Amino acid sequence: MIRGIFRHPKNELEGEIKWNRTPGPSVPEEMCVTCPSCRKMLFRDALAENSDVCPRCGWHFQISARRRVALIADEGTFQERDADIASRNLLGFPGYDEKLRRARRTESGSDEVVCGTCRIGGCPCCLFAMEPAFMMGSMGTAVGEKITRLFEFAEKSRLPVVGFTASGGARMQEGILALMQMAKTSGAVRRHSDAGLLYVAVLTNPTTGGVTASFAMEADIILAEPGALIGFAGPRVIEQTMRQKLPQGFQSAEFLLEKGFVDRISNRKTQKALLSRLLEFHAGCTK
Amino acid sequence: MFSKILIANRGEIAVRVIRACREMGISTVAVYSEADRDALHVGLADECYCIGPARAKDSYLNMSAVLSAAIVSGAQAIHPGYGFLSENAEFARLCAKCGIAFIGPSPEVLARMGDKDEAKRTMKAASVPVISGSGLVENLSQAKQAAEKIGYPLLMKARAGGGGRGIRLIRSEREFDKAFFQASEEANNAFGDGGMYLEKYMTGVKHIEVQVLCDSFGHVVCLGERDCSMQRKNQKIMEESPSPGVSSQEREKLFQICEHAMRTIGYTGAGTVEFLMDRDGKFYFMEMNTRLQVEHPVTEMVTGVDLVKWQIRIAAGLPLDFTAKDVPVRGHAIECRINAENPKEHFRPGGGKVTMLHLPGGPSVRFDTALYPDYFIPPFYDSLIGKLIVHARTREEAVRKMQAALCELVIEGVAHNGDFLLELLQDDAFQSGRYTTSCLAERGCL
Repeated sequence: MIRGIFRHPKNELEGEIKWNRTPGPSVPEEMCVTCPSCRKMLFRDALAENSDVCPRCGWHFQISARRRVALIADEGTFQERDADIASRNLLGFPGYDEKLRRARRTESGSDEVVCGTCRIGGCPCCLFAMEPAFMMGSMGTAVGEKITRLFEFAEKSRLPVVGFTASGGARMQEGILALMQMAKTSGAVRRHSDAGLLYVAVLTNPTTGGVTASFAMEADIILAEPGALIGFAGPRVIEQTMRQKLPQGFQSAEFLLEKGFVDRISNRKTQKALLSRLLEFHAGCTK
Repeated sequence: MFSKILIANRGEIAVRVIRACREMGISTVAVYSEADRDALHVGLADECYCIGPARAKDSYLNMSAVLSAAIVSGAQAIHPGYGFLSENAEFARLCAKCGIAFIGPSPEVLARMGDKDEAKRTMKAASVPVISGSGLVENLSQAKQAAEKIGYPLLMKARAGGGGRGIRLIRSEREFDKAFFQASEEANNAFGDGGMYLEKYMTGVKHIEVQVLCDSFGHVVCLGERDCSMQRKNQKIMEESPSPGVSSQEREKLFQICEHAMRTIGYTGAGTVEFLMDRDGKFYFMEMNTRLQVEHPVTEMVTGVDLVKWQIRIAAGLPLDFTAKDVPVRGHAIECRINAENPKEHFRPGGGKVTMLHLPGGPSVRFDTALYPDYFIPPFYDSLIGKLIVHARTREEAVRKMQAALCELVIEGVAHNGDFLLELLQDDAFQSGRYTTSCLAERGCL
């Protein structure tokens, strides 16, 4: 054993100036993040450069709607629509005003879903991305209205729609009005489809509840990010109701692909190339 | 001065840095992989932390583990040694964010010199002569056009390159297409960057490098040159200072060029500027190493300057207290790299247990190593196991001293290249001092 055999020299610290920096060495909180899947510690800068995908295990981190748009839309082509539509406490639900205020104070600001037009790989299209950080991406009247309007605009302008879903379902604080958005958005998707136009949905983690039961699953082509949780009710609720053990990987994107609910798993890093190929193929658009 | 430093390295260089710290009264923190539990640097340091499995990727290159060890131990600075994280701009940036001093140049300079193509452009702008070549080439046809201009034979190099990867020698146009795609693919796999550039291939040249030391007050000192032309497959095996092939006028001119360049790029710390010298005595910039080098003891022996201590002092914000005039090059020093590899089996690297060890000694003989009797050399890392350095008044005396010292070196249980080095020392090319980088390849010693 080599340890403990050497003595420590009694040399005084050289020079007079002591290196006295306060505070001492520490990790700034925003510098690192732990991958929830493989537990590896990752640096935020490096993670952002890798499209927020864990370089070790491929876990797709949740990203904001704005960042999603920046990753997918060709630079400088995104033009937002209906940015001024925001949720209100229509039913006078207790505590909802405060919840909205708190949600707007976070990083996401007042984004619930970001809608607009852009080009992807040179192909013009309508784009929407839901904000997972705003009250778990839940769908209230504002979200429903914005998505409906986007589909109506796309139908009028004869544009395809690309949509990124991330949602915990219909917003409970808006009750029946939130549930109504399922029918409303579905109607708009149907009219857009009847006009012979393409709709591609990309289901991201998590896509659940009323959103799954409406416009998320109504696309012509349904893509999903690896490992995303996709379902209507959560696995715990189902297990308790059915009193049955659920199969492994239940409600994961891969499970849904196997059962035919999803057309393809799409890695975030190659997503833009895939989407532009799909758009180009269906629109016959020339770059 | 820092009161505690973490050494983010292993082997002889970690031992070298720890020794400097012990002299300076600085506490030391060693980090080690699971394969290095019994390594000498772990025993010599005041504190030690295991930072991961044997593979370097999971331990010595694991930035978060190294930083965690620094923070847990309260180290104020990190010395990266050579290799591993020493030229990683990202790591230097993270150190700064955590309030830890990185002993080396700023992240910006690291990034600029790490991009080989940009380093060449920067040096060219600082009026340093560079090897003629192209800038970045985007595609095959553009590369071919550039190749026509430069002329064959030429070297194709990856801008992110290092360790000999992503480099191809192209002798004629016929080989061009294949080499372009292969090298680009290799660079993309190894460095995640397939950017390539072309450079004239020079044969029969000397590899001459200049050691510089710069503080944060704009003082620059050139500490003589080293001749590292004795190479096997682009790996240096013997180094000496001063170079027998450089005249005093050429030397003076070279130092002027380097001083000017260092001021222009705002370099701080210890660094090495590498040049090729052709038969007419003309110098061409090749690349800059922004770290301590393996062969730094050669310079230490002829100048008497402790480079590691000065690296630490400069990082702590102290000014250089001498100029080049105060540290003239005295005598001649030679270094031989002792590698755990078998020359009889095409230099196959090996490891094993050191069953007996005798290190050469005597006046002006230095042996930098992390070996000790019964040490097991793990197979996961570089094959360098020791560096034998001698210093004497004249070159002839130094060569004699080196021969005597090499004969005294005994490392039983591990195959090494000691005998091969002895042969090289006796070779006419080395004795005359006229050897070049291609001399071993010409003799078929590959």
